[in-house]
Amino acid sequence: MDRSGDRTDLLAGLGPGPARDRSASEISQDAMWVTAARDGDRGAFGQLYERYARMVHGLLLAKVPVADVDDLVHDVFIRALRRLSTLRETASFGAWLAAIARNVANDYHRRALPEDPLPDDAADNEIKGGMSRADHEGPATAVLDAVMSLPDAYRETLILRLVEGMTGPEIAARTGMTHGSVRVNLHRGMEQLRAKLSPDPNRNRPEQERP
Amino acid sequence: MDTGNDKTKNGPPTQSDDYLWDGSGEPDPEIQRLEGLLGKFRHDSPAPVFPEIARHRRWTFFPWRMQLFPGLATTVAAVAAIAVVTFLVYTAKPTPTSVAGWDVSSVEGTPRIGRTTIGGKDGTSRLGIGQMLETDRQSRASLQADDIGQIEVDPSTRLRLLSMGSGLKRIALDRGTIHTYIWAPPGQFVVDTPSAVTVDLGCAYTLQVDDSGAGMVRTSLGWVGFKLNGHESFIPAGAACATRPKVGPGTPYFEDASAEFRAALTRFDFEDSTSQQRAGDLEKVLREARQRDALTLWHLLARVDEGQRVMVYDRLSKLAPPPAGVTQEGILRLDQPMLDLWWNELGFDDISVWRHWERSWAGSATAREK
Repeated sequence: MDRSGDRTDLLAGLGPGPARDRSASEISQDAMWVTAARDGDRGAFGQLYERYARMVHGLLLAKVPVADVDDLVHDVFIRALRRLSTLRETASFGAWLAAIARNVANDYHRRALPEDPLPDDAADNEIKGGMSRADHEGPATAVLDAVMSLPDAYRETLILRLVEGMTGPEIAARTGMTHGSVRVNLHRGMEQLRAKLSPDPNRNRPEQERP
Repeated sequence: MDTGNDKTKNGPPTQSDDYLWDGSGEPDPEIQRLEGLLGKFRHDSPAPVFPEIARHRRWTFFPWRMQLFPGLATTVAAVAAIAVVTFLVYTAKPTPTSVAGWDVSSVEGTPRIGRTTIGGKDGTSRLGIGQMLETDRQSRASLQADDIGQIEVDPSTRLRLLSMGSGLKRIALDRGTIHTYIWAPPGQFVVDTPSAVTVDLGCAYTLQVDDSGAGMVRTSLGWVGFKLNGHESFIPAGAACATRPKVGPGTPYFEDASAEFRAALTRFDFEDSTSQQRAGDLEKVLREARQRDALTLWHLLARVDEGQRVMVYDRLSKLAPPPAGVTQEGILRLDQPMLDLWWNELGFDDISVWRHWERSWAGSATAREK
């Protein structure tokens, strides 16, 4: 059965959702690279890496310490490579990869649960590589900490925008979220971030206290 | 700087967000400063060398010598095929398990699929169509389907896999709690509960069903549609919605709304009160509503009687003025296109996604509702 017609109808009937927002050429390029990678083309998988590495990096950065993110990016792509043959909707590659990234981050936290937790002071003051937290302190770290204190949805979207430099439409296209969701997450997340970073105590109020 | 100089502060994003959205428009100095600071954490590693990818090779059944004798090869193939078919026919078991299904792994304890316990050597199994997954008070499970998403199953939960069609993936949650993260296209993943049908619209959410069949959905990402008995509720991230048997979905609300607002809304939705009590509860809801509670008020438009609708319209208009093309007269007679236009103005998501999928799965949903 030829499913190409179904696909056309599907896209035509959708509102401005992720499938429709993405350009047809980008979707078909992803599909082409996925197919080629399944057939053993490492270059094609490299193209997918180039397109999606920032998204994966951003999603991981929203959940795990900076020092471990690069290694985990590699893990995500290796996991995706091994499971590529199970992906049936090649057009959903981005959303599928995003889910793998979130799973890898969750696994990281499951594995990282120490049997004998460090006392709070020690955990706070010591981070990977024996460096003290003070070594890492700085305005950038303070801002990143503020972003990390936001709700999940806002944190991910803001990191993709402010850290990885992706635009809203790119975030929607890569992650599979709708334009509307990304736009709202950016707007509300930025509003909360401004409040957290503002020295004005009257401004530093949670969103729910708005009229 | 402050972008809160217009209705974007509390309402949907507008032009002033253009720089944040796609870098266009007048640059926002505060966002530029944050981009500069946070840019040091940006991904900048070159692509690593990936391991060799196993090619999809055509499987050669016959050794090369056999290819010199195509007639003999055909005969051998035919005999082998007959033998295999005969074997399969005589050994086939009448199980409902299909190839399509979800991979299930035990996260804790010993969840069961039917009577089979999961938690063997690798702790994984497969939930096929028609099969039931059950966790006891000590067990939790995780379901994953690569082209749909992931479901975390809490203790004391029972769910069944109903279908895995190319356009609709459906499970039934009889009781318990699931946490879903769905990456299938919006509208394809549906969960039946005893008191409502939950439709994923591109999101992550938690769904609970208690022993009476009452349910609660909480959305953490994207939005969810909840539907039964002609009631439909749209629940964006940060919002929740309860549902009751024989009543269907209540009115969605943001969980950070005031306690008084939420209590009045629950009574209005589900309690068997007098019309005077209902009017009092509605007044409380309208009085307590903040700007973002336009979500709740928009839903109430279709759930109140005509006399009360004017009050809801007036309050909603103050919180989120109706866009061009939406009139009071149209809203009071529940003109669907006007309601949809107003919804889209609230900034949660585009309702046409829902309308499209509502049409596409109306047949099966109707069957469930009857």
